[in-house]
Parts: sequence; structure tokens; C-alpha cells
Amino acid sequence: MAFLTGVAATAFGKYSGSDAPSLMETAARAAIADAGLPLEAVDGLVCGYATTFPHLMTATVMVERLGLTPRHAHQAAVGGATGVVGLLLARHLIAAGACRHVLVLGGENRLTGQSRDDAVKTLAGVGHPVHEVPLGASVPAYYALVAARHLHETGASERDLAELAVLMRRHAAAHPGAQLTKPISVDDVMASKPVATPLKLLDCCPISDGAAAVVVSAEPGQGASIRLAGWGEAHTHQHVSEMPDDLGLGARIAANQAFAGAGRSAADMRLLGLYDSFTPTLAIFLEALGFAPPGRAGAMAREGLFGRDGRFPLNLHGGLLSYGHPGVAGFLAHVVEVIRQMRGEAGDRQVAGPPPLAYCHADGGVFSSHAGFVLERTA
Amino acid sequence: MSGVMLQSCGSCGRVWQFRRGGCPQCGSTAVREVTASGGGTVWSVTQVMRAPLPELDLPGGYAIALVTLDEGPRVMCRAETGLVIGQRVTVGLGADGLPLARTS
Ligand SMILES: [Zn+2]
Repeated sequence: MAFLTGVAATAFGKYSGSDAPSLMETAARAAIADAGLPLEAVDGLVCGYATTFPHLMTATVMVERLGLTPRHAHQAAVGGATGVVGLLLARHLIAAGACRHVLVLGGENRLTGQSRDDAVKTLAGVGHPVHEVPLGASVPAYYALVAARHLHETGASERDLAELAVLMRRHAAAHPGAQLTKPISVDDVMASKPVATPLKLLDCCPISDGAAAVVVSAEPGQGASIRLAGWGEAHTHQHVSEMPDDLGLGARIAANQAFAGAGRSAADMRLLGLYDSFTPTLAIFLEALGFAPPGRAGAMAREGLFGRDGRFPLNLHGGLLSYGHPGVAGFLAHVVEVIRQMRGEAGDRQVAGPPPLAYCHADGGVFSSHAGFVLERTA
Repeated sequence: MSGVMLQSCGSCGRVWQFRRGGCPQCGSTAVREVTASGGGTVWSVTQVMRAPLPELDLPGGYAIALVTLDEGPRVMCRAETGLVIGQRVTVGLGADGLPLARTS
């Protein structure tokens, strides 16, 4: 049994003068305080990588900086899925009796700590060094290839995908920590600069500075009790060249395992935190996991299904697309928002309820590593 | 022949592109090198307008396609502009030695 007892995220955006450890320290101290724990109670750390701070041992850098005395600490790297896999590993450490309070941590100055060209080049390296990268492929190009295939298979349009960017921007406008808050329309997305067809600039998440942290504990902390009720992972490939023909396969395997473990179905969920590196990432997840029929994610967004008052409120902080994306902290910010909503602490953004059941999911690579979990408020 | 190198399993017949010591389907290590015939179908295609490297940042961009070869594997190629999903193409090596998908 594992509970999410403490959460924190910095505002995302530009933090000139900060480095990855200082951003991570800020989020870590805030999350541990949120859990109501003294530092010495934290006996486990799973720390994400930082592209601007490529230290071989980021976890022990943070152990030293925070003054922790953990029984387990290591650095995890599964791309965008690192935050989820970190939380699942924390759950496994607790289930094994190895730790009682595990800090899952990510953060970096990805925006100000390197040039845009360096950031794009570093990320392009997830491609195959012989068969993909030399062709001039990039992460947006890999996702563009999947997006084009998705549109071809489902009959959805680029305007449908754009609806998801518009929704994330609308949600971000209600959060003081979001990087991008200026309202946008479908026409704005369509008119934004082409990156790799069918993706335009506003279909892609920004690069950000920021950090986020979550504490996973063996027992509920102070206040609402939020249990990690079911979890799943799937790792189907690394490179888009070897992606399964079924674009949603990995997502579906991971999610079905999570729902089965929790004894729940997709229809039971009342809140979603889904990775949204690009608009097609969200569309494919929503459709593969059963929250929208094939090709209909954008249309359902337009009809309000994923808004604050809708059936499946989605990424109410604005997601990667608008809250921002500083690497590993990007998805952890989804979890921070989901927990705040489940506790009824989201202020003006709060959904009615608050929601008793939520599903969170992320992918790393190019739909390569999938991990997801169901959260349940038990008290 | 296309010049695009593949590997083939001597046990189950599976064909793939990325170099491995064993078959990803059946695990057999009876692997041999084969050359792709060059026939294939566009599985997906994108026109890249913002390149990851400054030296590739050409006006109008360049196309990258994933092509399902007749032997089975999906391979990434530079592509002629204007290709569409489902179109029959020929894959060979371009002047730069990289796989290139064309309509003829
Ligand atoms: Zn075989």
C-alpha cells in the first residue's frame, strides 16, 4: 500500500541564474513540508536526470544538498515517463519494506541553461544514431510521423488536434504558475509556424525551467488520504521505426493493467493527468484508453468533455503544452495538480467534488515507454 | 537492388533493419545480411520545417518518410516532397548514402 502524501511544483518558465540542483532543491523542500515530514523521515530518493546537469549521480548530489540519509537513492531515466516510473518504483520500494517515505524528484533549467539548438539536438538523440538521426529527424519529426499516421487512420483533422492545444491554454490561464497563459484559438494554432507537418509550433510544448516533487509514503499523511490503487507499465520499442502498427498499444497495455489492479475502469475516472508533449500525444492516449472514440478526442474537447466541468477533466494546470516542460518535472506537475484537485486545494481551478478517482499516464521516447496509475481518495 | 541493408532470420523468416545478433521474433541467432529489393509503401511522412541541426535548415524543409518495405520492416528514409501515406515507392540510397524514397 502506498500513498501520495506530499506534492510541490515551482512555477514553470524562465529562471535565469538557477541551475538544476537549485530548482530541484526548491521543489523537494516544499514537497517534504507539504507531507508534514521532517527531512530525516525521507528514506528513499528517485531522482530524474537533467540534460543541463548531466552528472553521473544526480540522486546523491541531491541527497547531499538536502541532507537526507536514505536507505535507497538512484537516478532514473525513461524519458518523459521518468516521473511515473519513479512513482511506481517508490511504491515497489515501500511494498518491499525497503523504505517508508520516498521522494520522487525532477527539475532543470532546460530553457535558460542551454541554447535552443543544443536542447533540440540533445533530444533528437533519442532517435537511432545510424538509421534515424542522420536523416535530420528530431523529436517533433518523430511525433509528426505518428501524428500523420494517426490522422490518416482515424480521419481526424489538424483542426481537431488544435482543439487540445486550445484546451490546455484555457486551463493554464487559471494557474498562476503556468508559462503560457495568453488565450489561443484553433485558427491561432493552424496559423502558427510549421515545425514538421502536420505539427505547428502551438501543437508542441515549450521548453521550460522548473521543478516538481512528490512524496510517496507507506501510510496516509495529514489531511486527505490518496492511495496509489493500481499501476502498469509497457515498453514496446524505442525508435519510431520499430513502433507497433497499433499506435495506442503500449498505452493500452499499461492502462489496462492499472485499471485492473485498482478494480476500476476508465469510465470510473473523474480526473485525468495525461502526458501532452504534442497534441497528438494527448489524442492518441485519450482514444487508446477509452476516454474518446477513435479520431474524436479533439471533437470531444470542443464539446467540453475534458474541461473543468466536463466528464473527464484533463490537465487542469495546462499540461506540458501550456504549464510548460522542463523535462522530468513536466509530468510530475501533472501529478501535483491531480493531487491538489483530489484534496480540494485547487482554489479557482477546483473541480466540483473533489474527484475521488484519477488516472495519470505518461510516455517516454516516441510512445516507447508507457506508465500509468490510478489514484483513489480513501478518506 | 536498393543498397539498403537488412537482416533476415534463417529460422522464422522475419526481416528487420536494425542490426542485432538474434531474431526479435523467435530469438534464433541464424541471422544473415540481405539487401532490400527497394519496393515499399509509405506508412507515414512529414515535411520537416525546423531542422535539429543548423546545417540542415533548408528553405522549405525536407521530407522524411517511414516506408514499409515489401520484405516487412519499416525503415526511415529521406523522401521526395509530396508523398502521401499508402503510396507505392522505391527506396534506394541517395547521393549522401542515406535511404531515399521516390515514386519511381
Ligand atoms: Zn526468427
